[in-house]
Amino acid sequence: MVGPVTHGKTPGSKAGMKVVPSRPEVRTDPAPVRGPASAMIEIERVSQTFRTAGRQAHLALSDISLTIEDGAFVSILGPSGCGKSTLLYIVGGFVSPTEGEARVKGRTITGPGPDRGPVFQEFALFPWKTVLGNVMYGPRQQGVKSAEADAQSRRLIEMVGLKGFENFYPKELSGGMKQRVALARTLAYHPAVLLMDEPFGALDAHTRTRLQNDLLNIWERDRKTVLFVTHSVDEAVFLSDKVVVMTRAPGRIKEIVDIALPRPRRRAELLLDPRYQKYVVEIERMIDDTSEEGLHP
Amino acid sequence: MNARALTSDVLLGIIPIALAIGLWQAISSFGYAPVTLLPPPGMVFTRLVQQLLTSSFQQEIASTLFRLFAGFAIAVILGVGIGLAAAASPAVNAVVRPIVRVLAPLPKVALYPALLLLLGFGHESKITLVAADALFPILLSTYYGASMVEQKLIWSAMAAGTPRRQILFKVVLPAAVPSILTGCRIGLVISCIVVFLAEMISSTDGLGYRLVTAARTFQAVDMFVPLITISMLGLILNGLLQGLRSYLLRGFPEV
Ligand SMILES: Nc1ncnc2c1ncn2[C@@H]1O[C@H](COP(=O)(O)OP(=O)(O)OP(=O)(O)O)[C@@H](O)[C@H]1O
Ligand SMILES: [Mg+2]
Repeated sequence: MVGPVTHGKTPGSKAGMKVVPSRPEVRTDPAPVRGPASAMIEIERVSQTFRTAGRQAHLALSDISLTIEDGAFVSILGPSGCGKSTLLYIVGGFVSPTEGEARVKGRTITGPGPDRGPVFQEFALFPWKTVLGNVMYGPRQQGVKSAEADAQSRRLIEMVGLKGFENFYPKELSGGMKQRVALARTLAYHPAVLLMDEPFGALDAHTRTRLQNDLLNIWERDRKTVLFVTHSVDEAVFLSDKVVVMTRAPGRIKEIVDIALPRPRRRAELLLDPRYQKYVVEIERMIDDTSEEGLHP
Repeated sequence: MNARALTSDVLLGIIPIALAIGLWQAISSFGYAPVTLLPPPGMVFTRLVQQLLTSSFQQEIASTLFRLFAGFAIAVILGVGIGLAAAASPAVNAVVRPIVRVLAPLPKVALYPALLLLLGFGHESKITLVAADALFPILLSTYYGASMVEQKLIWSAMAAGTPRRQILFKVVLPAAVPSILTGCRIGLVISCIVVFLAEMISSTDGLGYRLVTAARTFQAVDMFVPLITISMLGLILNGLLQGLRSYLLRGFPEV
């Protein structure tokens, strides 16, 4: 049986902070034929210091290095305030790191771009636009003709399960529906990378499960690279190829766990799978350790 | 809000107005005030209808409305423009902020004598005064609305490929519309007050001028007519703005 594979840090060494790109993902299923895994995102020795109101320097991220292969689904787990969002914003180009650099397809990230599409916990839909208007926004910005953008967007809205809601305004939708719109809006401009910051964090358990399943189905089709921040260990193990566990502030990478579970994944089967359970327990234990480190520095 | 709730709200709103008119009627019928000083409402409204049908009174309304609209429009254009620019550019903000701090609390009416000397007794001086008074609430609410735009809306648009310089018009302006319209509502009420005031101080026509001439000749009924006309105009204009508001804000959560 395949147990959880972890790439831990070398205890006590400075090098332990830096995470060596892990071995190619192990797939036990007949994975779709893909070229050799190439790096989509490279984060190299990134540190982030914020100046707080009291002019104090606050180290949010410390010396993060991480490589994410093309087509990988990678989740980031860690205690609140450890810098998960900050790391995502750096890859998004919304925040520039105080040290180190992040690259996408080998190019240094200097700002946001349509190759990296964010999905936020707060949805961040344009309240003055309808569902269709929101989804069409990206294609229109990319110069797609109006009729074509309209047709594409309608297909996407159908794909995320919101056919019939094209002319609704965001305020007329439930949280889960809003997040589906936000996902469609981002998918509409075909980003190579999806950056999802606790996208299902504000949803109830049932809606959350449905959206996880739908996200996996959509992901199985075109296997975009996904960087996914969450607080839920189950969610991370269920969705990901790799789970990155971070330490509490200042955020460092504690462990990277390869999730060698077969795909396509079915929730009902997975919950009974001892390998799945083992991953969940092991990662939960790592996070507990992290919290204790904080209590006894 | 559904139609029935709206109707009952309107009915509730009419009650205090009806009470005020009733009180007014009572004061004159019980003879607490002589009819020459406080004419009963029936008399005033009859006179109002008579006046509204005369072309000379209609022309007074037209000049008041023209000044009001022109001044308000200038205030909207300048207020929204400067407010957005100040929110978008720290340099503009650094220039605008002290000027606003100094000028906003100044009673603009104090500038009116100077405006009269500069621009004369016609439309220009009144339009300028209206614009100067309505400008600040619109400018300030535009500025705050535009500064408060949720960061993630801007990020979402930038990730979708909107260049930085277009963010102002594609995201910041539409997101600030609710607060801009709040400023406009305040600005509109101020415009009504100020245009009337300016016409009272010095004018050769307009509703405010009508009131002053009636007061000089002790025509109490004719004093009330322009007063009621301006408040009804204010009511109608506010209703129109409210309609525009609910159309423009149809996607925004109710506040
Ligand atoms: N703009 C900012 N200015 C100052 N400090 C900031 C800023 N953004 C984040 N921080 C700080 O950086 C640290 C990491 O924040 P971040 O939002 O990345 O954490 P997180 O891991 O996403 O937390 P959570 O799980 O609660 O979302 C926090 O201590 C936070 O206070
Ligand atoms: Mg966060």
